[in-house]
Amino acid sequence: MMAPPHSKESRQMTLLLDIITTAAILFIIATGLLTIFGVLKIINFAHGAWLTVGAYCAVAVGDLGWNPWAALPVAFVTGAALGGLTERFIVRPLYARPLDAILATWGLGIIIGQLITLGFGRDVQFTKALLPGTADVFGTSYSVYRLFALAAAIAIGLGFSWLMEGTRLGLSARAVIMNEALARALGLDTRRIRWVTFMIGCGLAALAGTLLTPLTSVDPNMGVAWLVGSFMLVMVAGQSFAALALACLLLGGAQVIVSTYVSPILGGITVAVLAAVVLRISPKGFSRV
Amino acid sequence: MSDATLDTAAEPGRRRSRMRHLWVLALIAAGLMIAGPLFLDRFTVNVLTRSMIFAILAVTVDLLWGFTGILTFGQAAFFGAGAYATAMVLTHLGSTPGLMVLGLVLSIVLPVLLAAAVGWLTFYPGSTDFYATVISLVVPIVVTQVIYSGGTWTGSSSGLVGYVGLDLSLGGFFRLAGLSLVAVVVVALIFVRSDAGRVLTAIRNNETRCAYLGISTQKVKIALTAVLAAVTGYAGFLYANASGVVAPENAGFVFGTQLVVWTALGGRGTVIGPALGAVAIDYLSAQLSGQMPFLWQLVIGTLFVAMIIFMPNGLAALATGWRRMRRGEDGFSPQLVALPPRAARVPADGDSPLLRIEKLEKSYGSQKVLEDITLQVRRGELVSLVGPNGAGKTTLMRCMTDGKAASGGTVRIHGTSISGMVPDQIVARGIGRKFQVASVFDSLTVAECLRMARVSHEAPSFLRSADSLSLPQAAIEILRLTGLDQHLGRAVSLLSHGQKQSLELAMVVSLEPELILLDEPTAGLTAAERATIGQVLMKLTSELGLAAILVEHDLDFVRDISSRIVVLHQGRLVLDGTVEEVVNDEIVKRIYSGGDHV
Repeated sequence: MMAPPHSKESRQMTLLLDIITTAAILFIIATGLLTIFGVLKIINFAHGAWLTVGAYCAVAVGDLGWNPWAALPVAFVTGAALGGLTERFIVRPLYARPLDAILATWGLGIIIGQLITLGFGRDVQFTKALLPGTADVFGTSYSVYRLFALAAAIAIGLGFSWLMEGTRLGLSARAVIMNEALARALGLDTRRIRWVTFMIGCGLAALAGTLLTPLTSVDPNMGVAWLVGSFMLVMVAGQSFAALALACLLLGGAQVIVSTYVSPILGGITVAVLAAVVLRISPKGFSRV
Repeated sequence: MSDATLDTAAEPGRRRSRMRHLWVLALIAAGLMIAGPLFLDRFTVNVLTRSMIFAILAVTVDLLWGFTGILTFGQAAFFGAGAYATAMVLTHLGSTPGLMVLGLVLSIVLPVLLAAAVGWLTFYPGSTDFYATVISLVVPIVVTQVIYSGGTWTGSSSGLVGYVGLDLSLGGFFRLAGLSLVAVVVVALIFVRSDAGRVLTAIRNNETRCAYLGISTQKVKIALTAVLAAVTGYAGFLYANASGVVAPENAGFVFGTQLVVWTALGGRGTVIGPALGAVAIDYLSAQLSGQMPFLWQLVIGTLFVAMIIFMPNGLAALATGWRRMRRGEDGFSPQLVALPPRAARVPADGDSPLLRIEKLEKSYGSQKVLEDITLQVRRGELVSLVGPNGAGKTTLMRCMTDGKAASGGTVRIHGTSISGMVPDQIVARGIGRKFQVASVFDSLTVAECLRMARVSHEAPSFLRSADSLSLPQAAIEILRLTGLDQHLGRAVSLLSHGQKQSLELAMVVSLEPELILLDEPTAGLTAAERATIGQVLMKLTSELGLAAILVEHDLDFVRDISSRIVVLHQGRLVLDGTVEEVVNDEIVKRIYSGGDHV
């Protein structure tokens, strides 16, 4: 896919790398959604919009002439700040109505998409490549940026395990996941935990949007295409990051294989269809992993 | 039904006048549709034709989401399937009248088949609301991708255009779309006001209770999805003809979300609201999109979010709320009619037990909650299940009404094992269950709740709401004793805790079960209410020959009414004997005085 296939080994290596890096990209995209779903039990349908916001942060940073890497912290902070407002004014009244929360966040997505269109126009934008070129992996030349995405996914995964296992916030969040009523009775400020979690989730989504920019063009509706895929992965993964990684690897791998050997169009629906089937057979998905 | 006898009652009269209003309004609307093209400009006629086709879709979304509680983005897929079926026939085969009919048939049959498959995938025992929403997202995406990969057959990303559709003028399409919309709205309104339509609300309110009233909610939902897909496919047929172009976006999930937005803004659960909402918003979008396209979408998005948060039932709900407030008092009270007692399901086969439990086990992982439970219950017995908290009483009740709950052993009803059966199948075998927390339908009236309990016995009307309500004598007596017969038209949400408990008991008895399971029926009741319930239970068992199993903490109550007492402790059955035996038993005294483990 990335390099001209020289030999059979090289083709297989490329396929393998495609599978792993596709899984990594899916993982990066879906973590923000999983964070929020895991703790708040709310599907944030504005997730696609936060991805778009992150991508436009990269565009804005480019327009300002800053170092392209500055887009990463800018996106995280912007996403988290907007997420904080969203939780307070839109999501908080809807905790008892999870289906309505899906709709309200979808509506928010429409609003954000239109605001971006008003600000930046509806045309497709391109950003500077963060890491251009290819690298040699066991004799196969492969996109450096996709390899970087793999590293980023691992960093996010490890960072999150540390956050959940090693910090006070993580402990509180786990308490809320397991038994919110008890956590509240024990004096945890569950309202604040929800708020912070939502901010982190939106920040991560925006960060993921920035990380996407070298791989895809940027337009006001770009997030929608990624929303459904990540939503399905999260449904399969339940509340666990390990399960999400597994789901990304299996379903993302299937997507690459179908795209390569059958048709890219069918590849585009592989994740969604497989996720629906997995959930039909085992309603808890991979969450017991 | 002889109308003459009921003419004097004000209620049926008011209901009939409401029906008359509906027909008058429908005729006026139809007249406007026919006259519309005469005084509207070309642009408006064109846009409104499309808006009214979309309004038909909004009505189907409302029936699924507003009434039944299934949030769906999938109607777009069925619409696309119908539109493409028509356009493909017209493009590749031709436009003779015969082929036009073929297009119409396919545009209905294909979506129905697709919807039946999707419904089967979506609605299975234990499926969640989230899962239904998930699938409703997947279906449009799959259909869209199939269209993309269809090559010249589907026109791929550019869609199909340039085929010859129905030979109608612009005004003709306007009239066809408009009359179709009026027809769909009228049929939908008649349906949702009928007794059958109330089943949808019952499912939205409390699906578990529906299942335990013997209603197969999965089948209802699958059937509803399939029928509405037919309507949606027909709208697709209209669209393909009227617009002369079909595109992949017509089947996409973004269009599906748009339908939900219109439904929400118009007012879910009102039929007319979503139809008006769709027409108004789509028409205004077309008008304003030239001048301020993004700002307009921004306004719609903002309104939508505000509406979901602050006014979840939409603008139309304000109007209905006001109407109800003005009317104030209760809704319609049907006349109670006693049913003749019904013969036992299995002809008197002497003394064979109704319920036979053998070596029943239930464990969560290594934790055994129930172990080696063996128990028989015969007709006419009133067995009380006692034991301290956590003894496994409620779990045992669940194992008797859900064939998938037990981990080992068998539960037989009339000699047939219930293993693997779902609650509505078990209820059909003559078991009724009353839950610990009163499980009723909060959006219905008392009479409507009771009618739900009869749905599995007599199919409800799809056209009208019956003026009378036939219930078994025993159920009527419960209503009389508790005074509920005076409040048949009252909304359940206004009942007291005790009244809800009595209502649920009356619902369960209306099922005409042979074995009735009651989980703490007297919890939270006053002494008088308790005595009434005790009286009813004794009558049901000793006079009518039902069997009853009762979980109860109040030992005095148990002593007064039981014919047998079974003691459960730490998941085991420690004693099964007469009231005398159990009350005087040392083990029971020790268990109840606490501390000592058996």
